[in-house]
Amino acid sequence: MIRAATPSDESWEAAAAFVRARYRSSDRIVAAPAWVDPIVRSQLGDLLSLRMAAPPDPAGIERVWELSIRGASSRDEPAVLEQDFDGVRVRLWSTPSDELIYDFVDEIAAAEVELVDANGSRICPWRAAQQARGGLETGPMTPRERFVCDARRPWLWVGATVLSDLELQARRCIWQHPAGPGPVRVTFADVPLGDRILVRGGIDYQAERRRVHAPVTLRVWINERLAAELVHQDGDGWAGLEIDTREAGSEPATVRFETTADNPDAGLFCWSASSVRGRKPMVDAERRLDGATHE
Amino acid sequence: MNDARTLSARDHLIGAALCVGYLLLLIATASDLAMSRDESFYVHAAKSSASWITQVFTDPSSAFERESIDRAWRYNWEHPAWMKLSFAWSWIGHKQLGLFPNESLAFRFPGMLSAGLLLWLIYAWGASVMRREGALFAALAFASMPRVFYHSHLACFDIPIAFFVTLTAYAYWRLLADYRWMPWLGLSFGLALATKHNSWILPGIFLIHFIWIRIDQRRAGRSDRASIAWLPSMLLIGPLVLIATWPWLWHDTGRRLLAYVTFHLRHVHYTYQYLGINYFEPPLPISVPFVMTLFTVSLSVLALSLLGLYDRRATLRPPWLTQANAATNRRTEVLWLGCMLAPLVLIALPSSPIFGGTKHWLTAYPFLALLAAWGFLAVVERAELSFWLGRRWPSWAFALLCLLPGSVETAHSHPFGLSHYTAVAGGVPGAADLGMNRQFWGFTTGSLADWIAEKLPNGGSVWTCDTTHGAWAMMQRDGLIPPNIRASASMAAADLVLVHHEPHFAEVDYQAWVAFGSVQPVYVLRYDGVPIISVYENPRAAGR
Repeated sequence: MIRAATPSDESWEAAAAFVRARYRSSDRIVAAPAWVDPIVRSQLGDLLSLRMAAPPDPAGIERVWELSIRGASSRDEPAVLEQDFDGVRVRLWSTPSDELIYDFVDEIAAAEVELVDANGSRICPWRAAQQARGGLETGPMTPRERFVCDARRPWLWVGATVLSDLELQARRCIWQHPAGPGPVRVTFADVPLGDRILVRGGIDYQAERRRVHAPVTLRVWINERLAAELVHQDGDGWAGLEIDTREAGSEPATVRFETTADNPDAGLFCWSASSVRGRKPMVDAERRLDGATHE
Repeated sequence: MNDARTLSARDHLIGAALCVGYLLLLIATASDLAMSRDESFYVHAAKSSASWITQVFTDPSSAFERESIDRAWRYNWEHPAWMKLSFAWSWIGHKQLGLFPNESLAFRFPGMLSAGLLLWLIYAWGASVMRREGALFAALAFASMPRVFYHSHLACFDIPIAFFVTLTAYAYWRLLADYRWMPWLGLSFGLALATKHNSWILPGIFLIHFIWIRIDQRRAGRSDRASIAWLPSMLLIGPLVLIATWPWLWHDTGRRLLAYVTFHLRHVHYTYQYLGINYFEPPLPISVPFVMTLFTVSLSVLALSLLGLYDRRATLRPPWLTQANAATNRRTEVLWLGCMLAPLVLIALPSSPIFGGTKHWLTAYPFLALLAAWGFLAVVERAELSFWLGRRWPSWAFALLCLLPGSVETAHSHPFGLSHYTAVAGGVPGAADLGMNRQFWGFTTGSLADWIAEKLPNGGSVWTCDTTHGAWAMMQRDGLIPPNIRASASMAAADLVLVHHEPHFAEVDYQAWVAFGSVQPVYVLRYDGVPIISVYENPRAAGR
């Protein structure tokens, strides 16, 4: 009775082998209940990119695998495939979403980053730098290579990382802490545009949960035109907007992201953007992803 | 007003056997538990105290100067000194005489001794007012609570304060019938004050109880009413003992006392998961201490304590119902009920800082066990178990049956004490489903020691997450971790990264993903199938 039923290692391994044999790179793998996620990742984590493990938006996810125990479920719809492995249930859903044609987070190394203040603009160099020590309440991990804007302000860097959002969900994103009213500017050249750009942003859980910090503004410029402005207030959680790019033409564009804040203290802001071409209405795709990532 | 049985030598023999038996059990199982986060702080403080004690003997003229005292006692100034002194003396004894098989046991021994003495005390108090079977049942019911068993191992203050709170309540209760207990009450309260701030509520509990019995006596028309002599004893001797045992207060006394009190009244809030919500600021739900008690104490003991309250309801009657010329007594059950409820209610108050862990209301559980003993005896007597076949074994068999769930759960909880939940919660997986706190203090790293040693046969480094470097060093000194496997300050530079699973540690999990570019733990330590620690391996180290 005390050893309430949980599956054996053999059950987990058999379920993982079943998924592994059928896995595609556009598949996402989720766990139910959420607390078995480390076990699922220990079995299948080598298949998962950071984007698939910490999806900032649903673009590019064509199927969702779920490994679940104890009758838990991450979604209600009938699965297209279901098999039980002595306590571990494997289910598969087809979730055709927008085609991902450009992931800004993946391309960050190719961007140009500059810091603008009263003294003008200066380029932030891309360099290998010492990583943060890690630990509780230290914010997202600094990547080994990143844009370093000011050595005296170690938080003033730009690079790809994973944020713990207000719901403690993992979000792969670009760290772009605002420096103040003057923008931190990240420019991507030759960006292929589809139907829309999905923009998401959020602040680190440990900072945002207290809801006492100033808002952070993210402005998105496409070919020097202001295309959107996302004002992130504490409490918004991982949130965003969509930019319709159908009228921007078929030529690759220059897309710029600027973060500002009147008071940059604890503006542990991280954003993501995906240039997508729609396969289905976005609302449906969003709903499917939400179902896949939350209990 | 002596309504208690005098304890015999046989009673104390049983109490001593309980004490020694439990102590041996704790010693035998201690090496399974790595040092916890708070223990590592207290060990550091105790070592500092030990150097001051040494200075007292080697250079007494300077030892009492402010500079020496401040240097030795500034660290961990927010906790009184009695247990830290005890840890220090035990460690000094170990260094001089080699008393213990390892260093951590030297620090833990005073806490373990407190646990053993508490069993003796529970038995003694129980045997003063009830049949010996009941008293023995109470002591064993307390000993076999899984969380009590875990905390009884530690060089911390939670079991010691449970002992001193119970001792103070016992001395107060004795003083009501015998003035000779007056200095002992003051001394025990002083030691409670000098152990932990849970003791602050005792005068309030006693005052309510005292008013209760005074009204009782007045309405009964008794002339020999209980004296309030206990109060000056506590209020005069208690603070003197606190100050006398805490050198930090010997200089700048008023300001430092105020800082100590203020620290705990404005305590930081811990992040605590309860029923699926991660609380980090008040109010914590009122139900927390009650539901956590329901989920961590065996159901048989809880049911018997309720039955005990029901069975003794006559002694719990409000004093305004007392009839003239009615017999009165010390209302022991009222005192026990007060001592049981007060810590739970205090934590439940919306204004209380967020603590969450059962250790913060462990002082309630000796009284819970004593009330359960009344329930046990009520069943034995109502069912006339002792009369079956003219033998006593049916009573003992029933006692064993009632103690079995707690004992089995306790055995199963080790060495994951804080992760354990009883069958009421659905066990460990059930509690995970419900979103209950899974652990704190990082002590579960001890369960990984063998795996780490095997994984890094040529040495290496480990980023230890919630396990402090002090706790890691103690594991090395105890021989659990090879000396060539060091604790790393940098996650990215470490060969292995540990992540203790609590929701607010999610960010640490994600940090490891970025540091190593992989979301795949190389190992997941599980308890009843529930993840406790994920271990990530640095790909650079894996290639070596």
